[in-house]
Amino acid sequence: MTPRLQVRGLSKNFGGLQVSSDIDMDLLPGDRCALIGPNGAGKTTFVNLVTGVIPPTAGTIRLDGEDITGLSAQARVRRGLIRSFQVARLFRAMTVREHLELAVLEREGRTFRLFASVRRVPGLEEEVASVLDIMGLEAVAGTRVGALAYGQQRLLEIALALAMKPKVLILDEPAAGVPHSESQRILDAVDRLPADLAVLMIEHDMDLVFRFAKKIVVLAQGRLLCSGTAREITADPRVREVYLGSRANAHRPS
Amino acid sequence: METVFGIAVDGVAYGMILFIISVGLSVTLGLMRVVNLAHGAFAMVGGYIASSVMQGAGLPYELALVAAVLLTVLLALPLERLLYRRIYGSANELAQVLLTIGLCFVIVAGMNYLFGPTLKRIPLPDYLSGVVMLGPKAISAHRIFVIGAGLTALVGLWWLLERTDFGIRLRAAVDNPGMAAALGIRTERLYAATFALGTGLAAFGGVLGSELLPLEPYYALRYIVLFLAVVAVGGAGSIFGSAAAAVALGVIDTAGKYLIPNFGEFFFYTALILILFRWPHGFFKRGTA
Amino acid sequence: MTAVATNKDTGKPAGKGAPGRLGRAVRDHAGVPVMAALGLLGFWLFPEDLGLMTRILATALYVLSLDLVLGYCGIATLGQAAMFGTGAYAAGIAAVHLVSDPLVLLAVGGVAGGLIALVTGALILHAHGLTLLMLTIAVVQIVQEVANKARDWTGGSDGLSGIDPSPVLGLFRFDLYGRTSYLFALAVLLVMFLVARRIVRSPFGLACRGVKEDPLRVQALGGSPRRYLVGMYAIAGVFAGVAGALTAVSTGIVGLDSVSFTWSAEALVMLVLGGTGRLYGAVIGTVAFMAIHHILAASDPFHWMLFIGLFLMGVVLFLPGGIASLGERLSGLLSRSPSRTAEGDRP
Repeated sequence: MTPRLQVRGLSKNFGGLQVSSDIDMDLLPGDRCALIGPNGAGKTTFVNLVTGVIPPTAGTIRLDGEDITGLSAQARVRRGLIRSFQVARLFRAMTVREHLELAVLEREGRTFRLFASVRRVPGLEEEVASVLDIMGLEAVAGTRVGALAYGQQRLLEIALALAMKPKVLILDEPAAGVPHSESQRILDAVDRLPADLAVLMIEHDMDLVFRFAKKIVVLAQGRLLCSGTAREITADPRVREVYLGSRANAHRPS
Repeated sequence: METVFGIAVDGVAYGMILFIISVGLSVTLGLMRVVNLAHGAFAMVGGYIASSVMQGAGLPYELALVAAVLLTVLLALPLERLLYRRIYGSANELAQVLLTIGLCFVIVAGMNYLFGPTLKRIPLPDYLSGVVMLGPKAISAHRIFVIGAGLTALVGLWWLLERTDFGIRLRAAVDNPGMAAALGIRTERLYAATFALGTGLAAFGGVLGSELLPLEPYYALRYIVLFLAVVAVGGAGSIFGSAAAAVALGVIDTAGKYLIPNFGEFFFYTALILILFRWPHGFFKRGTA
Repeated sequence: MTAVATNKDTGKPAGKGAPGRLGRAVRDHAGVPVMAALGLLGFWLFPEDLGLMTRILATALYVLSLDLVLGYCGIATLGQAAMFGTGAYAAGIAAVHLVSDPLVLLAVGGVAGGLIALVTGALILHAHGLTLLMLTIAVVQIVQEVANKARDWTGGSDGLSGIDPSPVLGLFRFDLYGRTSYLFALAVLLVMFLVARRIVRSPFGLACRGVKEDPLRVQALGGSPRRYLVGMYAIAGVFAGVAGALTAVSTGIVGLDSVSFTWSAEALVMLVLGGTGRLYGAVIGTVAFMAIHHILAASDPFHWMLFIGLFLMGVVLFLPGGIASLGERLSGLLSRSPSRTAEGDRP
């Protein structure tokens, strides 16, 4: 099976500082993978490299077999490599429905239609309704995002990603800032994502990681430390070592 | 050769006036994140005060200068307290633009109500109205005085920022307002002091530059574009940037007026566009005061 | 008028506090007929002031164009008069040398305004904040200088005169009392208003609103914010150009002040007075501003400045949504629904 996302030898130097070195990663269709690591392990850099926010010093990134290393961030988005943001980045004055409409229209390249009413774009309403339904957001469809509870904003982040029909979805701390008691709702939403989608979750909260991921990748000091199932990871002495050293701030965002 | 020399002297003197007036605008934008379109009005107030105390109360030029600066600051501080403090750091640039342009209108109307709509003169004392021989060249004493004042202001501000406690706090607040507040720096007083300094300098520049920027009823509106251009080119919050930008724009404007008088404006704004293309964030980026 | 002028232009109900479907439908469809009715009422009530009222209508269209840029894209500009003036001069020059059909002249103005907006927008819209503001000012100053120097075409500081349009549609002659001018301007404004509303409710309008809020997020959705900005800037240029042409056709002259920094700034003031991001706000603001200006400036320009200055400060401090938000606020108070989040988010 062709990996959805294939990363080979990905490296990044800032000046003389090596922030990512020689990272390999494969995500297959249906993968539910978590990327963890202590503060400063290079998780954010890795996400930025993969999504094309910053160019790598070396290495290749392939999406469904196609080399996307040289493509811009937007071109990657259009090919189905989608990320959600750690801090909800939403349009505060727009409603939930409008967010999803915009995401679908962008995906279909229909945003330069000047004189068509948004409400009359064929298929749009149905698709938005189905995403609202999957994410359990119908009740707030007409609410401006500024008035939404934070947990619902996080759900909308995931809904937006879903509306973009991703092949690979990178969730950057999807439950950051959500009370622990509510993070289950986020996970439920993640569970309802299409089965053939490859999901990579960056997360600090180990509870969440263990509930979500079938595979866990550990990053430390810009390198791939190890990867495996939850059981394998917790048993690995190297993981204990990097985490015990920095446990005190393990749940601070990096 | 004569022309080049003339352009240089007049351009630099003009630039120094622009610097003295605009630097306060630059700092309020860099520090308090306020686009203060009423800034030019404070220069105008300074000029009007100086003119009226000289002609009404018969004060000498030097005292009129001091009075103008002090009275303008006294006038501006309550405004800072009542109006500006509400819009500091506000993400809503539009509200800032409207509030300050509204204030500008009110000040213009008020000045005209108090002092009438005629052009105001600030007669120079004898020692400034003559010329000074610099080798074979004759230079207007006023130009030399202006350039000297500009350089003094520049060095003074540099000293204030780099060598004093006030400066350290100010720079900290420019770089990272949240951190400065967390460190216990009383930003409110810092802002008020900075605002006072900026308006005082504007008033100073308004008096000093009345030969170059004549004091007329629409002064505050007419020249604000020029002051904003200095800030945009210099980079908000940068003192050396403001100085470099002011001198550059002063020389460009003067050169345009001397060399191609028919297309002066055209020349100036084309240069402005080119500069802003090359340095979209200004000569010196924000925060490197 | 304010009662129907709530934030319907955003196209969607604003959440729990929104009135029911019926109320929405009424607001949706009543607005333009009400505007038309008020326009005709003005025609009937103030036959002596048709000249002024025609100018108000054309200016409303100009302010509407600024709303497209500022209210729906978040581009703070002090150069909108560059587009207005270019449209006015293009129509004026065409009228003197080429054609006299008023509708063709409007089209000429629209094309000219759109082209200059497209070119300058593509050049300057990479900038933000103060730099962008300065660039827009520089553009308007340069266009004014060009108009000033191209005396042979524009009449320079004397202004361009001799614009003598033929009857509208070959039927309605422009009369001395300005009746045709007024009704023509009213019709143009209403049609352009409907077009603008269509645009802000289109997928393109939605994308522009996204850019206004957070360009980087739009990029993360796969869109290119700059293309939307330039696109909307050009569209607004067409609107401003038509407004300029309309002024040229109805007044018969074009002056240098139509392409000035002051005229740009006045548009901004009118728009904010009415409320940005609401198409009705542009119209209400223009009517309020020009009417008060007419009354106060007749006595002493400084009274006018004092008044408008205090008014602006008052709007910022006490009514951030502009006049058009009054209705919304009142209905919010009356129905005692929790405040609809709209106000806080709007400049």
